[in-house]
Amino acid sequence: MPLDTRRLTGPESSQSPYNFAPVNKLDLTQLDKRPDGRSIKKLRPLFLRTNVVSQARGSSYIEMNETKVICAVYGPREVLRREDFSLKGQLTCDFKFTTFSCRQRRQYQQDSQEKDLSVLVLEALEPAVCLHKYPKSQINIFITVLQHDGSALSAAITCASVALASAGIEMYDLVVASSAAICGSVTLIDPTAQEEDALLKATVKPDNNAGSVTVAFLPSLSQVSAISSDGELSFEILNKSMQECVANCQKLYPVLEHTLVKHQQELEAGRS
Amino acid sequence: MSVDIRLASSRPAGADLYHGENPGNIVTPGDIITADTGFMRGHGTYMDDECLHASVAGTVERVNKLISVRPLKTRYNGEIGDVVIGRIRELAQKRWKVETHSRMDSVLMLSSVNLPGGELRRRSEEDEKMMRHYLKEGDLISAEVQNVMSDGCLSLHTRSLKYGKLGQGSLVCVSPSLVLRRKTHFHNLPIGASIILGNNGYIWISPTVQDKSEESGGYETNLQPVSKSDREVIARLRNCVLALAECKMLLFDTCIIYTYEASLKYPVKDLLKPEVVVEVVDLVRQRLELEGS
Amino acid sequence: MGDAGLSEAEKTFILHSVQDDFREDGRGNEDFRHMELETSLISNTNGSARVRLANTDVLVGVKVQLTPVDPERPEVGRLEFFIDCSANATPAFEGRGGEELGSEISAMLTRAYAFPGAVDFHSLCVLPGQQCWLLYVDVLLLECGGNLFDAVSIAVKAALFNLKIPNVTMTKDEGGVELDLSDDPFDFKRLDVSGAPIIITVNKIGHYHVVDASEKEEECSLARLMLGVTEKGTITAMRKEGSGSLDPNSISDMMEVNTRFLCLPGI
Repeated sequence: MPLDTRRLTGPESSQSPYNFAPVNKLDLTQLDKRPDGRSIKKLRPLFLRTNVVSQARGSSYIEMNETKVICAVYGPREVLRREDFSLKGQLTCDFKFTTFSCRQRRQYQQDSQEKDLSVLVLEALEPAVCLHKYPKSQINIFITVLQHDGSALSAAITCASVALASAGIEMYDLVVASSAAICGSVTLIDPTAQEEDALLKATVKPDNNAGSVTVAFLPSLSQVSAISSDGELSFEILNKSMQECVANCQKLYPVLEHTLVKHQQELEAGRS
Repeated sequence: MSVDIRLASSRPAGADLYHGENPGNIVTPGDIITADTGFMRGHGTYMDDECLHASVAGTVERVNKLISVRPLKTRYNGEIGDVVIGRIRELAQKRWKVETHSRMDSVLMLSSVNLPGGELRRRSEEDEKMMRHYLKEGDLISAEVQNVMSDGCLSLHTRSLKYGKLGQGSLVCVSPSLVLRRKTHFHNLPIGASIILGNNGYIWISPTVQDKSEESGGYETNLQPVSKSDREVIARLRNCVLALAECKMLLFDTCIIYTYEASLKYPVKDLLKPEVVVEVVDLVRQRLELEGS
Repeated sequence: MGDAGLSEAEKTFILHSVQDDFREDGRGNEDFRHMELETSLISNTNGSARVRLANTDVLVGVKVQLTPVDPERPEVGRLEFFIDCSANATPAFEGRGGEELGSEISAMLTRAYAFPGAVDFHSLCVLPGQQCWLLYVDVLLLECGGNLFDAVSIAVKAALFNLKIPNVTMTKDEGGVELDLSDDPFDFKRLDVSGAPIIITVNKIGHYHVVDASEKEEECSLARLMLGVTEKGTITAMRKEGSGSLDPNSISDMMEVNTRFLCLPGI
């Protein structure tokens, strides 16, 4: 891996002090009492705002309590390399956690998890964008997670779809994403990082369900544009939590609509 | 559903499949073919130190004074009059570029295709604009080699009703040297399917169409579903051709029909299994030997 | 070969063939192609396997290495996947061409193997809190003929099954613990892979679902669902791929198709 010598690099081997601190373990037996006081079915409050990066074609910011994501959209612009020529437009996505966004410091270079998430976001958005309207051009989406407290993927997808819409890119539908964490028979909607971690690292009994699922949904077309799951889950549970996520996406849809309407009103007001 | 997994150690031990007659003189690159200077240097050979050397691995062929080496596996070397199957790759000024498994992309000029409305039609600027309407990227065509240019690039033509755009069917790609040169490469097999054995190793299997309408010039393809019985014949033929190719048998109409008949006792999908392939092809080989063809 | 870009008519032919449950090569929608499996073929690895699924050819080598434990999870060993898209398979992989596909496959494998029951991670820990085994699972794509993910996952499972981990003896010194690797080639332990998942990809072509799609069929499908499944019937990772979107019901259908292949993981 090429290292940027201008950056301050830490010592070759170091450990986070949190490894030695007593971990605030989540009580997996009492999941109905969530640390932030929500019930298991309750979503976190969602704050959405467009036009936060003035120089981008479109941008948006999403906040779900402690999860904060910002997204900027540039383009459509011409594809530079001729071999990439195609009659359909291209969508690119760059997903990045800031180095200080998580409990552990992250590297400034994109790691494999971030690459994986980039692809997932891209695949969630591709079915919604009318790419055939943008021949020979590319649209770039840049997503930065400022603070990660669980469900970063779904926040990023929702945020990016609003940013695309605010950039005036033609779309069939908005994309709303929602996630759930599963432990045994309990499904926690919109999990925090603490809950996600506890489940992924939990060494539960082999036939127990533990994992998480994220669904991206096109509410008007009623189609799922992306789905991804982690951990070991049975077919029935996965199916059930997928339906729950879809229902939550539908709940969130008005918030997105409202934000975009407000965005449009602001633009109109500015014009007159 | 069916899943067929097996260990490599249980592969049928019949790797030595060659039963045919002595293939003749096989040479490898650098081998001296002859020191006699009375011969002429053909393809696949070079002169050095007054000796004729081979430059490819293959069999030595001699026509009078001309010595050439024919490689066993090669890209397609076109000859005038060959029937080929190709896929349109690109549209250019007044021509289509066609992929034909040849060294270079072949060229199909707008002037060497039949356009709707008869042979004597003039080609106008309109037609140039309509080129993508006739044939677009990805389309398959059958054509004849009209000319071989000095750089080896093939120029094709489709100026006969039997050539032109291909509709629904299945394309199989085999090595060009496996296709036997015959008088005709278009066969309407009695079992209810048509097969075009392209000299370039591309083989097209499709349901038999009765009448090709002259009106549209053959650019309209029929997108109606193919009946299941036709589909079964096509799939079986496809697997038969692949089986023959795997056992390095020359492909021509009789042997394909024999394989088809020999395979009838198996369901179509069983022809993907190696032991069935070996058995069926063995039967065909014996039958061909019996008939002395 | 000229497989790139099918004509409209060929696509229609394939679409209808899936409708008839009778595919181009005679298979039904839920049939796999012939598969050949080989293990123990590279002597320099601790475990290796090769899978040939029609034209798809995958070679996997596993090498083990002792390494300090991950401070966040001091009691378990680790698995690392690396996919090499060899330009031998197709010139398109030349240079960095195969990188994207490679990281996609390795991400899917990492996720499918990320649950505690996949392999016995605890047995991979030599000295809790200090040393553990790190299994480098290196996958080499030799030929691509469709359905890469499934073939890769089967080869990985077979290679892990074939894995021989040398036994380690510990002696307590005054300076700490000394690890001694057994040099007897027959002194090894195996890894239990009965819980390890394999990936099944279901392609949506038209309104029908197809497993083990050939390259041509993959071109006709807009969306596919990949699932990591175990013998027990649990799903360990799920992902939608492709530019299309899916109906929630069709996802359940596809998952059901998947669960019918549960017998597969037992090699």
